[in-house]
Amino acid sequence: MVPNTMGSETNIKLPFSFIIFSLVALVLSQILVLVNGQMLVDGSFRIPAIWSAAHLLVLGWALMVAMGAMYQLVPVAFLTKIWNEKFGFVQFFVTAIGIASFSWMLYVSPQKALVPGIFMLLGILMFLFQMFMTLRKQAKPNILTAFVGSALVCLFLTIFLGITLIFSLQTGFAAQFYQAIFKSHLLMGVTGWFTLLIFGFSYKMAPMFSLSHGFPMIHARYVYGLYMAGLAVTLISFFNDNSYLLKSGFFLLFAGFSVFTWHVSIIIKKRLKKKLDHSFSYALGAIGLGNLIHLAAFIALWTDHFSILIGPLVYLYLLLWIVLSIMGYLFKIVPFLWWTYKYSKEMGKKAVPSLKDVMNEKVVVPFFSVFVIAVLAVFLSIIFKSILLFNIGQFVLSIVFVAIALTILGVLKK
Amino acid sequence: MNVKEKVIEALRSVYDPELNINVVDLGLIYHVDVTVENDVNVTMTLTTPGCPLHDSITTGVRYAVQGIEETRNVDVNLVWEPAWSPEKMTPEGLRLLGR
Repeated sequence: MVPNTMGSETNIKLPFSFIIFSLVALVLSQILVLVNGQMLVDGSFRIPAIWSAAHLLVLGWALMVAMGAMYQLVPVAFLTKIWNEKFGFVQFFVTAIGIASFSWMLYVSPQKALVPGIFMLLGILMFLFQMFMTLRKQAKPNILTAFVGSALVCLFLTIFLGITLIFSLQTGFAAQFYQAIFKSHLLMGVTGWFTLLIFGFSYKMAPMFSLSHGFPMIHARYVYGLYMAGLAVTLISFFNDNSYLLKSGFFLLFAGFSVFTWHVSIIIKKRLKKKLDHSFSYALGAIGLGNLIHLAAFIALWTDHFSILIGPLVYLYLLLWIVLSIMGYLFKIVPFLWWTYKYSKEMGKKAVPSLKDVMNEKVVVPFFSVFVIAVLAVFLSIIFKSILLFNIGQFVLSIVFVAIALTILGVLKK
Repeated sequence: MNVKEKVIEALRSVYDPELNINVVDLGLIYHVDVTVENDVNVTMTLTTPGCPLHDSITTGVRYAVQGIEETRNVDVNLVWEPAWSPEKMTPEGLRLLGR
């Protein structure tokens, strides 16, 4: 028998700091979108308020949640402790100030966003350094390391390309490549960083939350190969403006995502836990939706409406794949963090609540269902240019986001 | 009831908070050894390496055994081999999972 005495618990104040900041950013981003609804419906995505809202949602909420979750999950998935927790707290403050000031500056004066952007970059670089130092201690790197490591590289590229965009806007540097850099920035951030990260951690969390055993892992290699090839080919197509390469890239991304969907379905079929938690079921549902959106984007490429459809499809991808996945897992991660903080020392001494008792699971189905419907309403309103539908959809979405944020924060009272 | 039986009974009060099944029915306890001086050694595993509840569950097991009046020193030995498998669960544990 091989003994293992390695603990895996992180100081919960660290992931919680990120998660609480993220919930505030989420609410603010929704208010900004609501106030600027008319411009979105008119197809004006590239306006300061939308830049600010998009970065608050993607960086303030999703990135901060991802960082917080990684501080908790990396020790779990890779069996190695966080390199330096104190450094983690410093990184939190630098990143939080950077993202807040960057989003504010994008709103009031985008040309002056370079300095806060550099501050934010510093915070993200500190995070990348922390993760690099942590992952290098891993005894046996595996396919999860490849997914998460590649996601971190994509995060670096996203930030680098984003800073290049601001620099280009300010000085005219590489102006002829502005469109290509902008598209690459989106590709690396949305499909590179977030998707690869969710893929990687899903391989740990899906079997854990469904208690699956005896499933094959070979498919993960094909997922990684196809998706990485798709990212590379699509990236190259942006710079040489080759439509065949773009189509090939989109097909590879779709193929990689499809194999991932198939693989997760194999894992879930091998589960012991017959009835899955609702929030986890929605996270699984998000995989199917992400797959459909990849297919829709590939099909749209063959039509004359691609330039009109791609903006709304990116919106759909962000909300129904990335945000829904993160929210689904957040309903599992936050109760765990709070339970560990409050009850782990009481275990074995007296009766303690289960994780299900800590989070109000009853709200999941109504909240998440309304969320999906509201996102679809906003998507259709942008396609059909209906301000009424947009206002209704976005209003409901903002309310649901706030309700979800308050439900998650409500865990702290249990 | 001898000390070993009391230890196993006490371990039934330690639950995996995610699955809400106790560590005995979940098949996590491999051996319970009690010496003549009533020192207890519990050899156990978890359902997956790197389980985030690693520290909580092993500490819970220790506290539960220490709570028995007759026991003296308690040692909890966490092992990954042989790996946990569903076959190690009791019929009650499987029933609680809906199987």
